[in-house]
Amino acid sequence: MIGYRTPLLPPLDLSVRSGTTLGVLGPNGAGKTALLKSMLGLLPLLGGRLVFPMGRPPRVGYVPQRDRLDQSWPLSVLDVVLMGRTSLLGPLRRFGARDRQRAREALDEIGMGELADRPLYALSGGQHQRVLIARAIAAEPELLVLDEPTSAMDPAAERVLLELVERLKRAHNLSVVLVTHQLTAVAGFATEVALVDRARGLFEVGPAREMMTTDRLGRLYGREVHVAEIDGQIAVVIGPPVHPERGGAGPSERRPSEEA
Amino acid sequence: MSGFAEFWAGRELWREPLLAGVLAAALLSYLGVFVVLRRMVFVSAALSEISGVGVATAFYVGSVAGIDPHTHGAIPLLLEPVWFSLVFACAAAALFSLRPGHRKLAAETIVGLGYIVASALVLAILNSPRIAQEAHAVGDILFGNAVTVPRAQILALAAAGAAAIVTHALFFKELLFVSYDPETAMVQGVSVLRYELLLNVIVAVAISVATRAVGALPVFAFTVVPAAAALMLTENLRATLPLSIAFGIVSAALGYYLSWIEQLPTGATMVVVASVFLLPGVARLAKRNTV
Repeated sequence: MIGYRTPLLPPLDLSVRSGTTLGVLGPNGAGKTALLKSMLGLLPLLGGRLVFPMGRPPRVGYVPQRDRLDQSWPLSVLDVVLMGRTSLLGPLRRFGARDRQRAREALDEIGMGELADRPLYALSGGQHQRVLIARAIAAEPELLVLDEPTSAMDPAAERVLLELVERLKRAHNLSVVLVTHQLTAVAGFATEVALVDRARGLFEVGPAREMMTTDRLGRLYGREVHVAEIDGQIAVVIGPPVHPERGGAGPSERRPSEEA
Repeated sequence: MSGFAEFWAGRELWREPLLAGVLAAALLSYLGVFVVLRRMVFVSAALSEISGVGVATAFYVGSVAGIDPHTHGAIPLLLEPVWFSLVFACAAAALFSLRPGHRKLAAETIVGLGYIVASALVLAILNSPRIAQEAHAVGDILFGNAVTVPRAQILALAAAGAAAIVTHALFFKELLFVSYDPETAMVQGVSVLRYELLLNVIVAVAISVATRAVGALPVFAFTVVPAAAALMLTENLRATLPLSIAFGIVSAALGYYLSWIEQLPTGATMVVVASVFLLPGVARLAKRNTV
C-alpha cells in the first residue's frame, strides 16, 4: 500500500524481474512519483513490504528529473559522474584513479567522453540528461531507474535517449524502471507496463503488449485511444474524451499525452 | 606619520582583532560556497539570531538565579553564554536539516519565521529589566565589535576552522553529493540527513563563534558575499573555494586597515570592501548577457 498519509492507489503487487524494462505510465499527477519513491524505499509503505530476492536491496543507478537539479553549480561533467561512485567508495575515502577511469568509461558509453571537463552550465538539456545517465552507470547498478527522462525532449532526441538506455541495459545486464507520462517512451521499449492513475484508483500491470491496448489506455486517459502496430512498433493516437458530457471535468481535463 | 606607518605602529592593538577577522572571513567564505549553492543564505542569518537568543537566555537565566556576571568567576560553566549560544545554534541547525516544510509553508518560510522570532526574542530579553544593566555586555557578546577580541575567541575560531577542515577533508564527496542532489544521494544509500546535519552544525558553530568575534553584519556578509563573488567568476568548484576564501581574507584585512586609518566602523568597512569583489562578477555577467 503506497501513499503519503493516505493510500494513493489500490493495494498493489509489483515486481521488477531481472533483465526486464518496466514502464510506469500515467498522466501527470497520477501517483507515479509516489510509486517510484515507495519502490526505492524513500517513501515508507503504508502497508505491505518490499521483497528483495537477492536478500539485499539492489544497487540502484538513479536518473532523477533533470529540472530538479541546479545546472548553475560550478561542477564539471566528470564531477557529476563521479558522484555516482560515492556509495561504492564509502566514507573517508577520496575518489581515486580507478573511480575517474570508471566515470570516464561511463561518459564514453554515452558518447560524451570528450566533454568530461566541460562545465555543467554549458550543456544542453539533452546532454545534461545523458550526464545523469552516465552517473547512474558509474554507480555500477543492477537496477537502473529513470524518472521522466525524456520530458521536454523532441521526439528524435527522445528516441535516441531511449535507444541509449536500451543499449546500456544490454551491455550491463540491467533491469530498468522507466517512469514517464509519455506514451512514446514506453511503447517499444518497455517489456512490462504498469498503468497508474490515482484519480481513477487505477493500477494495472502486465506484459507491454497486453497493457498497451485501446481499452486499457482509454481507461487510463479517459479518452478514445487508437493503438496500431507500424513496422513492428506500437503507435498510439489519443482522441477526444470518452465522456464529453462531463464537460472536461476530472481526469479528461488533463493535458493529453502526445501522439506516438 | 603616513597612514600605514601609523597603522603599523599600533600593531599591538590590532593584531588579535585582525587575526580574528581574517580567521572568521576565511572560515565563513569557505562554508559560504555551500551556503550560497544550497540556496540557504537566509539560514545563516537565522542561525546568527538564534545563537543570539542563546546568549540572551544565558544572561536571563543567570539573573533569575541571582548571579552577578560582573563578579569574576561568578558564572557557572553551564550558564556560560558561549554554550547557550552553541546549543541554540546547533539545535536550530538540526531542525533545519530535517527540511521542515509543509504544503503551505515552504522550508524557507520556516527559516524566516525562525529569524523573526529569534530577533524578537533577543530584543525582548535584552530589554528585560532583569538584565538591563548588562545589556551593553550582552550586546558585545551577541554581536562582537571586531575591535577588541579576546584570545579565547581567536582560539574558538581556530578550533571551528580546524573542525570544518577535518570534516570537509573526510567527507567532501558526501557533502557535495547531498548538497547537489539529495534525492539521488539518498537512493544510492548516502545518508542525506547525517551529512546535511554535519554541514549545518559546522555552519552553525562557525556563525555562532564568529558572530561573537566580529559581529553579526560581517558574519552574514562573509557567509554570502565572497562566495557569491567567486561563483560569478568561476565554473569550477576547485577554483571557487580558494577564490572565495581569498576574497574573504582580503576583505577582512583591507577592511580592517581602512577602518583604522579612516576611523570608520570596522565591521561595516569589511562588508563594503567585500562588496567590491562582486563588481568583476557583475561586469562579467553583464558582458555575457550583452554578447
